[in-house]
Amino acid sequence: MAKYAMAVDLSRCQGCRACMEACKIENNTPQGVFWMYVFRTESGEYPNTKVDFLPRPCQQCNNPPCVKVCPVGARFQRDDGIVLTDYDRCIGCRYCEVACPYGVNYYNWRKPEEAFADYNVDYKDPDIAAATGGLIPPYKNPALDRLQGTEQRLTAGSAHNVGVMEKCTFCVQRVDKGLDPACVDVCPVHALHFGDIEDANSPISQYVNRQTGFKLLEELGTDPSVFYLNGTPPGSDTREIERPLTEVGS
Amino acid sequence: MTEITRRTFVKVSAAAAGTTAVASKFLFGGLETVQHTDSLLLAQQLQEDTVNTTCWIGKQDCGIVATRLDGRVIKLEGLEAHPKNRGTLCPKGTAQIGAVYDPQRVKTPLIRTNAKGQTGEFRAASWNEALDLIAAKTKPVLEENPKLFLWQKGRSKAKAFYDKAFVKATGATKLGHGAYCSDAGYRAAEYNLGPKGVIHPDFKETRYLLSWGWNITAAGGNKTCWITWPQQMLDAKEKNGLKIVQIDPRLRPAGPHADEWLPIKPATDMAFALALCRELIQLDYLDKPYLKKHTNSPYLVGPDGLFLRADVPADAEEGTVGKALVFDLATGGTAPFDEAEDPALTGAYVIDDVTVKPSFQLFIEHVEGYTPEWAADICGTTAERIRHIAEEFGRQAQIGSTKVVDGVEIPYRPVGIMAYHMAQQELGFQALRAMITVAMLVGAPGAVGGQLVDFTWKISSSYDKYENLAVNEGPYDYTLGKSKFFPINSGLPGMLAKVMQDPQKYEVEELPKIVMLHYVNPIPSFASTKDFLDTYGMFEFVSVLTPWLSETADYFADVVLPTATMEKYEGPSSASDQYIDGKTIRLPVMDPLFESRGEIEIYIDLCERLGVLYGEGGYIEQVNKNLPLKDEFALPLDKKPDVRDIFDRWSRMEGLEGGIEYFEKNGVWIKGPVPATKRYGYATEIPFGGAVHRLYGESLLVAQNKQKELGADEVYWRDYTALPTWRTPTMEASPSEYDLYLLSYKLIEQKQMRTSMIPLLTELSGKQRLDINPETAASHGLKEGDDVVVESHNAVTGETRQVRTVVALSSAIRPDTVGMPHHFGGWSPKNNKGLGPSSNELYYTGEGYVTCTADQSFHVKVRVLKG
Repeated sequence: MAKYAMAVDLSRCQGCRACMEACKIENNTPQGVFWMYVFRTESGEYPNTKVDFLPRPCQQCNNPPCVKVCPVGARFQRDDGIVLTDYDRCIGCRYCEVACPYGVNYYNWRKPEEAFADYNVDYKDPDIAAATGGLIPPYKNPALDRLQGTEQRLTAGSAHNVGVMEKCTFCVQRVDKGLDPACVDVCPVHALHFGDIEDANSPISQYVNRQTGFKLLEELGTDPSVFYLNGTPPGSDTREIERPLTEVGS
Repeated sequence: MTEITRRTFVKVSAAAAGTTAVASKFLFGGLETVQHTDSLLLAQQLQEDTVNTTCWIGKQDCGIVATRLDGRVIKLEGLEAHPKNRGTLCPKGTAQIGAVYDPQRVKTPLIRTNAKGQTGEFRAASWNEALDLIAAKTKPVLEENPKLFLWQKGRSKAKAFYDKAFVKATGATKLGHGAYCSDAGYRAAEYNLGPKGVIHPDFKETRYLLSWGWNITAAGGNKTCWITWPQQMLDAKEKNGLKIVQIDPRLRPAGPHADEWLPIKPATDMAFALALCRELIQLDYLDKPYLKKHTNSPYLVGPDGLFLRADVPADAEEGTVGKALVFDLATGGTAPFDEAEDPALTGAYVIDDVTVKPSFQLFIEHVEGYTPEWAADICGTTAERIRHIAEEFGRQAQIGSTKVVDGVEIPYRPVGIMAYHMAQQELGFQALRAMITVAMLVGAPGAVGGQLVDFTWKISSSYDKYENLAVNEGPYDYTLGKSKFFPINSGLPGMLAKVMQDPQKYEVEELPKIVMLHYVNPIPSFASTKDFLDTYGMFEFVSVLTPWLSETADYFADVVLPTATMEKYEGPSSASDQYIDGKTIRLPVMDPLFESRGEIEIYIDLCERLGVLYGEGGYIEQVNKNLPLKDEFALPLDKKPDVRDIFDRWSRMEGLEGGIEYFEKNGVWIKGPVPATKRYGYATEIPFGGAVHRLYGESLLVAQNKQKELGADEVYWRDYTALPTWRTPTMEASPSEYDLYLLSYKLIEQKQMRTSMIPLLTELSGKQRLDINPETAASHGLKEGDDVVVESHNAVTGETRQVRTVVALSSAIRPDTVGMPHHFGGWSPKNNKGLGPSSNELYYTGEGYVTCTADQSFHVKVRVLKG
């Protein structure tokens, strides 16, 4: 059985947020929801300032605190390491959100069509509906609502129903087809890598072994599957700049 | 900027997404039952396919694969085979799906029903009615004087069909967005070296890069809009240990990829470059064989500043001048430049009782006073750092070395400068000439690893034109081409606005009567907003081709024609990344939404109505000529063409089996590697295409003399100097309370106005803000998120302008400089509102705020007040 992992080469990342956008379109996430998030940061003082970028998907922990606290077994880990949410089972208690030290969980407060209205566009517009069958967002991929994997649970993209939790799935719908997650696939500067970390000959294993790196908040014992290479973790002097908007239409 | 601990750091984004505790709510009410069954059924019935096309947002036409379900596009992804993007996309490329399915696009042709100069009221019209109306208003102008029909474009993605065929068939005057971009950089490279482009490095081979300005990871630059340069830059860092020196008031442009950051004051780049030149001379980092053989450095200059020339040969055609003379050290006498064995670069020689000196000697004397100490003071850095950069640049250039590429031994100079939008400054043209001269001193232009300009070393037609700059007597046409004001004229829409406001001042007798705006939205997009608001109402008739109701259309359009986004044929476009050449075509990802149409179809219909479609000189013939389509592939001149068929013919003519189906199947046509003999100037059949590199700009001085003779004011002629000459920029004359420099820059998530219409991108980029150093903010009593008023001052007229925005603290900007992204400022479609002002509202155009080549400067002194 493969064990999936991601490697982020911080020496290549340009902080362009193409990964965030590809994630949003692939997974049809509503406004203000970023399953993949790219921190843009500064540290130090002028003129000895440093600018850095840190992409942060779900860390897909091998010891996932979110799974342990889920009272209904909705948050679970597959044998291939991917931590997923079964939207059919999730009761929206948000324990996972509290337990996760990485801030990757999002709670759906509103119906998707309401959440997408924050983009200041009316996707219910009849002329658009005529071309899209009334789907919101218009690029919605209904195939995401299929049951995923051998476990046959509802774990991919696009429902975004009110009252359930969601987070990065490593694009389970793509991985199950043998594709890389959307963020990895799109990265214009090939800073993101994905694959089977238990196969010593896989490109990602070779890649990770060759580089120096760290994992985020490793000391918490979460054992993340996301490796950060050729960079340093954020320090006490790190300040976030250029935050994305959480409410476009406000 | 909020300080955060490492633990809270990674949680911050989710917190920002709105987690106000509503504990009482989360288990009750409003919860949906998960309904996946219907969707599942739906998914099973859907037919998935893909369409190959190209990006419509940016300028480099990246290859895209659109995935469709039953013809509905659900995802755009990079096309693996396309050299420019190699299977990837930038955020804009992915997010343009939001533009395709934007309900706020213009859905039908619109005809104005209220007075202009205010929020527009329009009624829907049929295509027939709208095109008939445009034709009726345009025909009389074409009959009277077609030059009074102004065709103004922002970005055109099928030049053969728009800029060439439509403009030529109608006889319209074309005006680009150009001089708002990096045209001063283009003009400098054309003038000094010949190829058309702005300087960029040979990333595959270079080891040392001066990354000058904000482009490198923020906006691409020369010939590409983003992905290609960053990919090549990172590969160069990894494979060759490329060192990057970021020269810019902000560090953000190169970010973690900068090995050194040299934050110099805005608009002092020429001073920095001149000091580098002086130091390279002092250190003798000079490629003398190159300077002697390929530049005009040895040309002897007389006391009048002009070249000493041989007598005009008796059989010379009228108007030709004699060959420039050099001093041949081998013979101890003068000789025509192409006949001397060992031309002198230095010294003074008395010829016919007159003391003459080689251009290079004059250059040495010219830069003697431009010491590192002198420049350090102007640039706000230290002399040590300037010396250090000069020494590294000179040493890394490895003067005298060669490398074999594609079997050809070529000079190897692995140093280069990457500059693009930093050309947008008052001294831009000469600043870029000074920077090119830095590269020339070490022999880097056209060398392996050295200074490149275009993707192939092809000499632009401007190079010859610049030998004798036309400076005519008035009256002038309204673009001021060949005028005493701007002998080198990039065509600045802002100057046209100035001319329209005061034609007498510029000796212009006839102003444009009607305008067609092709993908251009001057009001928020161009500096200065006020000048466009004051001008566009003066046109008798305004038609606009646009997918959205742009601000300019809202206020001034008589007719709006809705254009398709990715749902159309367009091109062909280059797919070259400078190493692999290719071509591509935009193919429609689906039928145009609403009643929108592709521009090529629109122009064909319009030309038919104008009576300029068929026959000789008509649109069809112009397409044949400019695309081009030859022999059996040429379109018949008497039959209305079908757009797909046009591209099919072109594809077949290019030898592609299956015609346009080749592109439908493959997305891109890879023509193969660009050989060293095409890329490197030294290696072309005749080295550098035979162009002599102009270290000394004699024709600039000749133009200055002519400008003076025709009575032009000093403001127009003062920068027409043979050698780049420093002067204090106009903005420095603003009163001292305007204590900060404002510069604008591009965000990676945004491009032209079309990106700010896409909320998916605004979500990523955020809204307008003012970057300000924490030290400066503190001294002005400001903190993160404060509302501020930014007030600019025009040092020539005393006018002030204000916008309101919010503080964004950044330690990565000089304390004497503030920055604003140059996007936003829209109000027309709902999804474009409320993003904050455009920095263009603060900039001025016209004298003092444009270059000597009529390019816009994006620098001004401002003060920041608590709002």
